[in-house]
Amino acid sequence: MPTELPYAADAEVSLQYDELEVLRLQYQKELAQSHVTVQTKFNYAWGLVKSPLREHQVEGVRLLQEIYRAEPTRRRECLYYLGLGHYKMGNYEEASRFNSLLLEKEPTNLQAQSLGHLIDERVKREGYIGMALVGGAAAIGTLLLAGVIRRATRK
Amino acid sequence: MTPRMMDHAATVSERSRSTLGLGSNSHVLDFATLGRAPMRLGLATRRITSRDLQIVEATEELLQEDVPEPEGIASNVSLLRGFNATIPSADKSRVRRRQTRNVDTQRLGLKKLGMSARGMLTAEEEHETESVVSEEDVVVVGRAAGKGKGRGKRKGRQSLSATKTFGKDELLRQTREIERDKENLHVRRALINNDIEEITHKIEALDAMRAKLEQDLLKLQEEELELDDELEGVKERLELEDSSSRAPSNPAEVVHALYSSRRRKGPAFLPSEHDDLPPGVAFMSLTEHKTPITALDFSEPYGTLVSASQDDSQPRVWDLLTGEEIGRLRGHRGTVKCIQVEDHVCLTGSEDGTVRFWDLRRVDDDLGGEGEVLSLSEIAEEDEAVDEAAPKANGIRSSVNAEVVEQDAALVRVLEGHTKAVSALYFEDECLVTGASDKTLRQWDLSTGQCVMTMDILWAISHPPTAVPGAVLPGHLFPGAAAAAGHFAVPTPPYADGTWEMYEDFVGAVQFWGYALVSGSGDSAVRMWDMRTGQPHRTLLGHTGPVTCLQFDELHVVSGSLDKTIRIWDLRTGGIFETLKYDHAVTALQFDTRKIVAAAGENGIKIYNRTSMQHSTLMTNGHTKPVERLRYMDRYMVSGGRDSVVKVWAL
Repeated sequence: MPTELPYAADAEVSLQYDELEVLRLQYQKELAQSHVTVQTKFNYAWGLVKSPLREHQVEGVRLLQEIYRAEPTRRRECLYYLGLGHYKMGNYEEASRFNSLLLEKEPTNLQAQSLGHLIDERVKREGYIGMALVGGAAAIGTLLLAGVIRRATRK
Repeated sequence: MTPRMMDHAATVSERSRSTLGLGSNSHVLDFATLGRAPMRLGLATRRITSRDLQIVEATEELLQEDVPEPEGIASNVSLLRGFNATIPSADKSRVRRRQTRNVDTQRLGLKKLGMSARGMLTAEEEHETESVVSEEDVVVVGRAAGKGKGRGKRKGRQSLSATKTFGKDELLRQTREIERDKENLHVRRALINNDIEEITHKIEALDAMRAKLEQDLLKLQEEELELDDELEGVKERLELEDSSSRAPSNPAEVVHALYSSRRRKGPAFLPSEHDDLPPGVAFMSLTEHKTPITALDFSEPYGTLVSASQDDSQPRVWDLLTGEEIGRLRGHRGTVKCIQVEDHVCLTGSEDGTVRFWDLRRVDDDLGGEGEVLSLSEIAEEDEAVDEAAPKANGIRSSVNAEVVEQDAALVRVLEGHTKAVSALYFEDECLVTGASDKTLRQWDLSTGQCVMTMDILWAISHPPTAVPGAVLPGHLFPGAAAAAGHFAVPTPPYADGTWEMYEDFVGAVQFWGYALVSGSGDSAVRMWDMRTGQPHRTLLGHTGPVTCLQFDELHVVSGSLDKTIRIWDLRTGGIFETLKYDHAVTALQFDTRKIVAAAGENGIKIYNRTSMQHSTLMTNGHTKPVERLRYMDRYMVSGGRDSVVKVWAL
């Protein structure tokens, strides 16, 4: 059975503040009772990952990692969420590693495939920016050098 | 961060890319890292925290973990389904639907109704009541919903829904929403059921843990009892060594033991090899006997054992270190029914009504043809001995003395007085108490061999002690009391192998400590006597069959009976503290603070752990027929069974 997963776009839609607050309260209530159900933890974690705030995302991924550690049967699902979380945080290496592990298990998983492409694209885009930066720096360096040389030759 | 990321890019992502086949080369990745750097620096939200590092560092470890196939709830309800079903917005459509059905009505004061119904009527609200016309108006909804009250006359009550139309689209939408809500409910139910199951498992695990801890607690208690015993043993030893050092001129001729092994507590001296023996296993079998074992006792672990069997008047003496027979005690003219050994002192009571006092140091291995062939001189010697010892009691027998009994060098003294079989005896220091089928108990002075006192059980039965606290005379009292007048004989309940016997020992067991004497007899009573007066002062009634064995300590009397029970009596109250039920008659028992070891008509030896209240049975390499006699010291036990074998056990 292919696992039911959200697409990456879903992670970009953040929850209302009070909705997240409800999830947080529920989580903390159960935490105080020292029996946190997986669903509650996930709800809060997923809500956090969806949030645009980076601190939230970090906390969300941390919770997902906890679920991953504690619940072997939920690991496959968590692979995807971890990948997604890291992707959103910009940790593309981690994201692609989690996602590729999932793809190894479920090569036909559409969501994972799409996430894989997204990660790819981001990595490429940042690569171009990097190249541009290097190129720019090289250009400036060349200009400066040219100027220096010109001055030197003028004298 | 950045150098670390580079590191990653160089080492780890190599693998991921090869598996994933991203198609990008390492160049691009390096540039990507570089490209990300300014974004990180530029945006405040991208501050790197320790949390960040923490989760990134965990990646490696997490990826190492095995990812099993999802099963159980994980395969039925995905996290996302659960999320969608349980987040607060899942209820939104319901609220929306409800709101679409709301109808604008005139103020009904429903809130007030609700409040007052809950008894929350406040002064402020009371004030409000006055403005709402009257109670009647509040109840009549129709008017408010519909036409108003212009007419004066009340119109027919109209439904609230009459004023509202939804349209097909809205209704279809609502249908879909309701279906989705129902599905959500299903999901939530599955989740909750799963949680309940999980909690059940946890409770089970915790219960198991609790049970384990309780057991540990019991073990500690047991250990404490063991230490108590050990301490007492050490103290006793200290006393002994003190006294022996003070009086080094040990009177060599004192043949009796200083301390009774029956009451000795604490660990015995065992060869170090004993620790290698597996516990609960019989490691030695003594098979010389031809008939069921009737009595046995030993001086100390790996010391000297004396055992007797049916229709054999010559108990055998064994060296338990080698398992070899040292010799025999020749002198009795009937089956030996009771034996007590302390050091080298051995007392035996027999069906011939005598008690013989032996010095085991003088037992020699002169098995002159198994002791059956005798020389004339020995016959003469024996006759002489009998004549001078007990002319009255043995008057008949010596004349009918066709079977010639050999006189033994080990014999110190013969105690005569009982007119029937001696079935129980107990001695400590110079004092001996015997019980016999003539329904009397006798107290003897071992140094002189004189009977000091006779206690008549028949008299005690007819004159019960006035105060019997806590003990009600049971109506179904064993017929022993009635039969007491005549010859006492009761068939034993069948043993585990179906055999049975005629039980004729009126006195099953005696033990004393100081002046306190306790006897167990065929009238199913456990009697406590005062040896200074010779009167019984308390009778413990409760058994429904003859009492065959007993032992007591500071707190309890433990008695076993043919009624298939062991009863533990509280010495202070005289009531039954605990009753242990067995499948067959109990013929022998011994206990300490931690356990009760019993022979209960089965092949295995029964052990009851008094701390954990658990029963266990020793079977390994054990008897092939029911066990009848046993005795243990510390972790060393000897048992005798109806299979005519004596077994030595490590406990």
